Amino acid sequence: MQRATAPYFLILPSFILAAAIILWPLKEIVSLSLHDVNRFGMLREFVGLEHFRVLFADPDFIAATWRTLIWTACVVLGTLIVSVPIALILNEDFYGRGIARILIMLPWAISLTMTAVVWRWALNGESGMLNSALRDLGLIGSNIQWLAEASTAFPMQILIGILVSVPFTVTIFLGGLSSVPDDLYEAAATEGAGRWDQFRLITLPLLRPFINIAFVLNTIYVFNSFPIIWVTTQGGPANSTHILVTYLYELGFRLGRLGEAAAISLIMFAILLVFTLIYVRLAMREEKP
Amino acid sequence: MTFKQKLCLLAGASIVAFSSSAFAASTVRVTIAEYSKGTGPYFQEAAKAFEAANPDVKIQIEVVPWDSLQQKLTTDISAGANADLSIIGTRWLLDYVSEGIVAPLDEHIKPEFKARFIDTFLTPSVMNGKVYGLPVAASARAMYYNKDIFAKAGISAPPATWADFKTDAEKIKKLGGETYGFGLQGKEIETDVYFYYGMWSNGGEIVKDGKSGLDSKAAIDTAKLYKSFIDEGLTQPGVTSYSREDVQNLFKQGKVATVITAPFLSGQIKTEAPKLNYGVAPIPAGPGGDKGTYGVTDSIVLFENSKNKEAAWKFLDFIFTTEQRTKFDKVEHFLPVNAEEAKDPYFADDADLKVFTSLLPNARFAPVIPGWEDIAKTTSNAVQKIYLGQGEAEATLKEAAAKINATLK
Repeated sequence: MQRATAPYFLILPSFILAAAIILWPLKEIVSLSLHDVNRFGMLREFVGLEHFRVLFADPDFIAATWRTLIWTACVVLGTLIVSVPIALILNEDFYGRGIARILIMLPWAISLTMTAVVWRWALNGESGMLNSALRDLGLIGSNIQWLAEASTAFPMQILIGILVSVPFTVTIFLGGLSSVPDDLYEAAATEGAGRWDQFRLITLPLLRPFINIAFVLNTIYVFNSFPIIWVTTQGGPANSTHILVTYLYELGFRLGRLGEAAAISLIMFAILLVFTLIYVRLAMREEKP
Repeated sequence: MTFKQKLCLLAGASIVAFSSSAFAASTVRVTIAEYSKGTGPYFQEAAKAFEAANPDVKIQIEVVPWDSLQQKLTTDISAGANADLSIIGTRWLLDYVSEGIVAPLDEHIKPEFKARFIDTFLTPSVMNGKVYGLPVAASARAMYYNKDIFAKAGISAPPATWADFKTDAEKIKKLGGETYGFGLQGKEIETDVYFYYGMWSNGGEIVKDGKSGLDSKAAIDTAKLYKSFIDEGLTQPGVTSYSREDVQNLFKQGKVATVITAPFLSGQIKTEAPKLNYGVAPIPAGPGGDKGTYGVTDSIVLFENSKNKEAAWKFLDFIFTTEQRTKFDKVEHFLPVNAEEAKDPYFADDADLKVFTSLLPNARFAPVIPGWEDIAKTTSNAVQKIYLGQGEAEATLKEAAAKINATLK
């Protein structure tokens, strides 16, 4: 009997801590989302699922949800695709590798908001660096107004998202690559495997767990990432670049509709939870054999 | 000294620190919006001067960027951790009053105090016959124009009507190069206001008889007018990527010939582009001779839950003396709200400010209606769609008006 209770007793302190910082706010948000709330967070009457009904009837919310999925998928997959070759190159021994590593890591050292502010300037149509660079190179004849509409603004935001996610991802991959023993490659080389085969049959499978963890962590970060989109377009023009987290902020803090904002945050929580569960399932199934 | 001894000393020191702060009478916390880099230093200095005269009161200034002020206030108020005094946009005041969050100031206001203010600026903070805030910052809007560009295009005076303005913009376009006649804002805060300038000239109103004026002929005509400016290349390209600051920057760089904005641009030009040869003129009139400008005030309010109302009021009384107001408005380039201050030659003889003050009789302030921010956002979204060509003017505005009418109910 004692054996059975001891573990529970031992995890009790950390459980209480987790409850205080996760469950209590969750309870508060659930209650906000079910009540009529004024803009200062004071609860008025209970309205049930009214806020959710309003949201699902709101075309901007539906559009923001789809856009969030596109945003997350593009940034996460883009980051992984770009990071693997960068990590492979930085893992090679070459002259100036230290500097190259620092350059790749540099964006990480700057706060995300600052990076986004710099990009907002760079993407300015008349005086932005990007347009003047492209014009100097003769690639464009007239200025492109990058942030004027979603069709150019959103892809640029995704590119910025990829750029800032690369350092973190490369770091994880470099850690993974350093754990691959060199003799495996030597053995493969003597057996006549080319570079591509070595990559496909040795590097990639051994890197697999690291790719997995980078995938999960990036998904969570990117799904919830606020600064890039808010700083460059604030979700505009005409709500056409909102993702859920920026839409939530606008509803809650700009327009004072805290009830609907709380409802969105619960929906986001649910989406991430479902995603994580599916992922954990898949990952465990793979590891079994 | 051993570690234990050090610890004892530290504990002793902290007890002394605690008790001394408990005895030093009331502390008044003041949340300040950062209008420019001079805002914080001005208030710190004012607080020091006030503390020197009132040793029993401590003033604690918290400077917040304007953009996050609303968020800070919302979170602070919901947690009950708000300051005693705060600057807020007067257009938010109704929500604060109807929730009972701010205290009326009437019991403190003596006729002498009230007489300090220019009425136009005090009125927006009066609700249900009570004064709920004092106008801490005031501005109006006028058209800045680049005299050199106008001269090069052979235009001798700023446009009096929108029709003249369009002809002028066409002349400027003929100059070639990347200079545009009309600097049009299409992004972020006040995108809606930039649209109202034209709408007011055409005789429209934001809200009339409790209904949105966005579906009026005036609004539709304005949308078509602005769109024709865009389509004919008379504005900077990609208007929906230019916030107010972005358009002001284009004006400083001489890339747009006009911008409609507030008096503080004069101050910025003085330091950032001193060679710019510009003038200030009223916003052009419509075909019926209607004119309008936007009057804006920010108010400083006293919270109902403040425990130091008396001390807080003393500080308000202090910062609204003519001397303090003059200092502040010189730092920020706002319009004087104090009648005595307005007579100061610095303001009275300033050519730019003269234009702004002459427009005040026609100034419209944000209407006192619930959900103003919602209405502003709906309007901005609608005009952005029209600017981008994603929606036809009449249909888009009618749809927005219907949405606003639902908010107004």
